[in-house]
Amino acid sequence: MRGLALLLAVGCGLAHAQSTPEALALLNKIHAATQRLSYTGTFVYQTGNRTEISRISRIADAFGGTEKLEVLDGVPREVVRTRDGVRCYLPESQTVKVERAGSGSQREFPAILPDRLADLPQHYVATRGQSARIAGFDCVAVLLTPRDDLRHGYVLWADANTGMLLRARTVNEKGETLEQFTFTQLQIGPVARDKVKPRHAARNWRVEDAEAAPADLSEAGWTVNADLPGFRKIGELRRKMRESLLVGQVVYSDGLAAVSVFIEPLADRRELTGRGLSNLGAINIYTREVANHLVTVVGETPAASVRRIADRVEFKRPQ
Amino acid sequence: MVMKENISQLMDGELEGSDAARALSALRDEAAGRQVWRTYHLIGDALRDTRMLSQGFSERVAARLAEEPTVLAPAASAPAARPWRRYFMPAAAGLAAVGFVGSVAFLVPLQEPSLVPQPVAQVPQVRPTPAAVAAEPARVPLPLAADDYLLAHQGYSPRNLLQGVAPYVRTVSGQALEGRR
Repeated sequence: MRGLALLLAVGCGLAHAQSTPEALALLNKIHAATQRLSYTGTFVYQTGNRTEISRISRIADAFGGTEKLEVLDGVPREVVRTRDGVRCYLPESQTVKVERAGSGSQREFPAILPDRLADLPQHYVATRGQSARIAGFDCVAVLLTPRDDLRHGYVLWADANTGMLLRARTVNEKGETLEQFTFTQLQIGPVARDKVKPRHAARNWRVEDAEAAPADLSEAGWTVNADLPGFRKIGELRRKMRESLLVGQVVYSDGLAAVSVFIEPLADRRELTGRGLSNLGAINIYTREVANHLVTVVGETPAASVRRIADRVEFKRPQ
Repeated sequence: MVMKENISQLMDGELEGSDAARALSALRDEAAGRQVWRTYHLIGDALRDTRMLSQGFSERVAARLAEEPTVLAPAASAPAARPWRRYFMPAAAGLAAVGFVGSVAFLVPLQEPSLVPQPVAQVPQVRPTPAAVAAEPARVPLPLAADDYLLAHQGYSPRNLLQGVAPYVRTVSGQALEGRR
């Protein structure tokens, strides 16, 4: 870890450092494994002083696979992803939140990372890290050190044999861990169907469907511009949130991190939130008001990046 | 009538946002309030053993301010940890009713249309400088709708391509929500 801290500490000096081909190859291998493998296991999610255990199962198939995440600590939550989209089950409030695939530009996702792997070295230096043994797997590591302070750094440990990601750590510019996912137990191979089925029949539950559709927010008078090197727009849509709110969403990504800009009428949110910066592990959220609307920027980036995007949002009444 | 207590809080930097704006606007309108403001400052100066300012100091500062070009940089005016400095200057200028310095947010309550030039349309938009962006923004608790935003955002994160559905665990934990109720 000291090596990484040092590496990050001299970030400026890294501007000319080179990514190694083997590190980039490992990144590709991890991506391929995520699509190709079926597995079931238990992982720990840590951020700040919070630790949560979850169970995750995936069945790979030709249609993008089916996955289930079940949070075992605290308030029960279950997320099931199929080729149709994502369904989030919240048994305590008897609510299902639905995000359909193919709405916005979601269908294009699987192409993003490999396409942009070529761009990645412009913004991150990818090098091999120290090998480690995790949950019984011999893992090799890749360090992704950002070339500027607009993004976080990452350390990924993957099974040397299959490429399955066993541990993912997000670090700040000082090399401190912001969040970490670690498998404590993992079984790679065929998985029974019922492992990826939702536990709840969810009959008579409230359904909150995002009903997202592609949109052009500039038509409504909004100027949203990431203006952050390497961040490109990957989606622009109008969606529902909760039951009836209509919210504009614009998403930017540099190939590893993503930032979403949400714009919604203030009337519906007045009491719900403060104005300023809040934080959840590697995620920063910045909220401000623009022209009687609430602008909320959510990103897996340092605070300065989400704030910069939020500060650039402008409204001009369409003529 | 602005309360003496409010004036005292304003001086101590304990009022923020709309409370501060309300107190300042009241100060502008009420001579009695301004008298209390001056008295409190005199007391404060005496307690701190501050040297007395020369006669007509406020008027001279106000006149100099009026001569300065108005620069508006809305994005640079994030709430700072010590708000009184920012509030004080508009107050001084607004009280003198000859000019003002400060953020757009405080222009409106302080403005006296007959006396204050209308600057908004004429000045160029100043883009926030890197230094302004670097200033610390206000820290606030997570929005109550944080989980909705996170769920809506997560589908677009390239992290899913490396980790599958695991990053969806990033929601506000139950405990965090409990603590806010």
